[in-house]
Amino acid sequence: MIAICKREIRSFFNSPVGYVCIAALAALYGYYYYLVMAIGSTSYISAVYQTMFSFSMMIIPIITMKSMSDDQKNKTDQALLTAPVGVTSIVVGKFLACFFVFFVASTLGLLPAVAMSFFSSPSWGEIIGNYLGTLLYGGAMVSIGVFISSLTISQIIAAIGTFVVSVFLMYIDTLGGAVSSDAVATVVDWISFNNRYTTFTQGLFSISSTVFFLSVIAVFIFLTARRLESRRWI
Amino acid sequence: MIEVKNLTKRYGQNLALDRVSFTVEEGTIVGFLGPNGAGKTTTMNIITGYLSATSGEVTVSGKNILEEPNEVKKLIGYLPELPPLYMDMTVKEYLNFMYDLKKVKLPRQKHIQEICELVQISNVYHRLIGNLSKGYKQRVGIAQALLGNPPVLILDEPTVGLDPKQIIEIRTLIKNLGRNHTVILSSHILPEVQAVCERIIVVNKGRLVADGATDTLAHDLSQDHRLILRAEGPEREMVHEIQTLPHVVEVYSLGEREKGVFELSVESEPDADIRRDLFALLSRKGWPMMALKNTDLTLEDLFLQLTSSDAALHQENEMDQDPADLEEDLAEVPSETEKGGEDQ
Repeated sequence: MIAICKREIRSFFNSPVGYVCIAALAALYGYYYYLVMAIGSTSYISAVYQTMFSFSMMIIPIITMKSMSDDQKNKTDQALLTAPVGVTSIVVGKFLACFFVFFVASTLGLLPAVAMSFFSSPSWGEIIGNYLGTLLYGGAMVSIGVFISSLTISQIIAAIGTFVVSVFLMYIDTLGGAVSSDAVATVVDWISFNNRYTTFTQGLFSISSTVFFLSVIAVFIFLTARRLESRRWI
Repeated sequence: MIEVKNLTKRYGQNLALDRVSFTVEEGTIVGFLGPNGAGKTTTMNIITGYLSATSGEVTVSGKNILEEPNEVKKLIGYLPELPPLYMDMTVKEYLNFMYDLKKVKLPRQKHIQEICELVQISNVYHRLIGNLSKGYKQRVGIAQALLGNPPVLILDEPTVGLDPKQIIEIRTLIKNLGRNHTVILSSHILPEVQAVCERIIVVNKGRLVADGATDTLAHDLSQDHRLILRAEGPEREMVHEIQTLPHVVEVYSLGEREKGVFELSVESEPDADIRRDLFALLSRKGWPMMALKNTDLTLEDLFLQLTSSDAALHQENEMDQDPADLEEDLAEVPSETEKGGEDQ
């Protein structure tokens, strides 16, 4: 698992993918921090993270697109699947590597806040809340991306598939509002990433949301492992 | 060491393996021979746990691949048809990664270095795998299989893409490894298997059609007892004289090869060795012998024989498919080959 994770991380930084994704997210963080500071004050900091929610959801498909599909395409999965490691370790290793890239990007997103702290006192509770929320929905989205990547040997299809899912998850709230059915509203409310994440933007640490995101991660890691296992049974 | 029992694999409607059974003793080199799409790779993929069988079972050292997958996988070093290499890594990074992945407990640097020297890739140790030639990639693949000194080596067409010198080196390497490893290697080149293996298992269309020691198998299968003779002398007279030798069945000329030198096909009775008499005759007559050789049993011949005798055998056992099915099978073979090509 650690070996796979290390290899995957190295592969991100052997190619421009890792750098580009991290740089793009970090630059956007910087830009929105600047924008918020220009119009308001640190009390609007959640607005930064609200906007970044959308951008993160868009960049994650790029991070995860090749995680599983590339192995299948280049037949390197033969090395992994005939090595004495379980399928779950393989998937967890891949997941952790993708998550690491997102983690680095999000952590770099804290830099503007650190810079700000030299001149004023930003509300760290709110920032940390936002940061944790970002990591949690990011992790959930990464696990979904890894799963979709395992369904295809094409990186492009994996990226587009994950992108569609993330757009769906981003706008599901509006969708729920349009349907006047309590049942649908409840379901939408339940699966909405945005709703779960919003609690964090208020600087609140929500156990139920944390459990929700962690469960999503666990479920999709499990599904990816099953998917990998099922390929042996074609 | 390796026991394969009634292995059957279906890909949808396509029967890739049909009740294949064999055992491989410890410390032997077994050649897995068959045309493209015969089921060699499928069998190897099942033994290594990459694929699972539709039915039947595989045990390595008494351990079942389904029950103790990690234990079995530790015992096997596998070189797939297409070496599972990461093109964005250097040889060094890759071998270290595989070392970790296989949970090898041997001293890292020393072990990797030894293997690199064995397969002669030390000079490309720091280069990106993606930039290596096919021969080097193949050797990195072999190195990867050797990591951790697994007692069983499964090599799927190990000499593909190598130049003749490398082929000889790799064959020698495999022979040496065979002293303390159990090796299964697949090939569709008969001479290669003859050169390296002690035992040959022939598969065709998913069925095991022959299994035996290399020397005897080729000999037994060879129903062709012809010698090809090249001698300088008068064509008709030579044919006539050789015909009178004992045990000679049929002699005919294959034509003039050099000026005044004719090539003759001399067929003898099975189990009769007429070479000495032939030599004596030619020397008595003063017709210099320029060349004499057995008609080599080619893979094509082997398969023609095995498949025809196989069909006959199955008819006897009343297990054979009807002719329409057989034709279907025959039609499937090229399409499988194409599929294999696409995969690469």
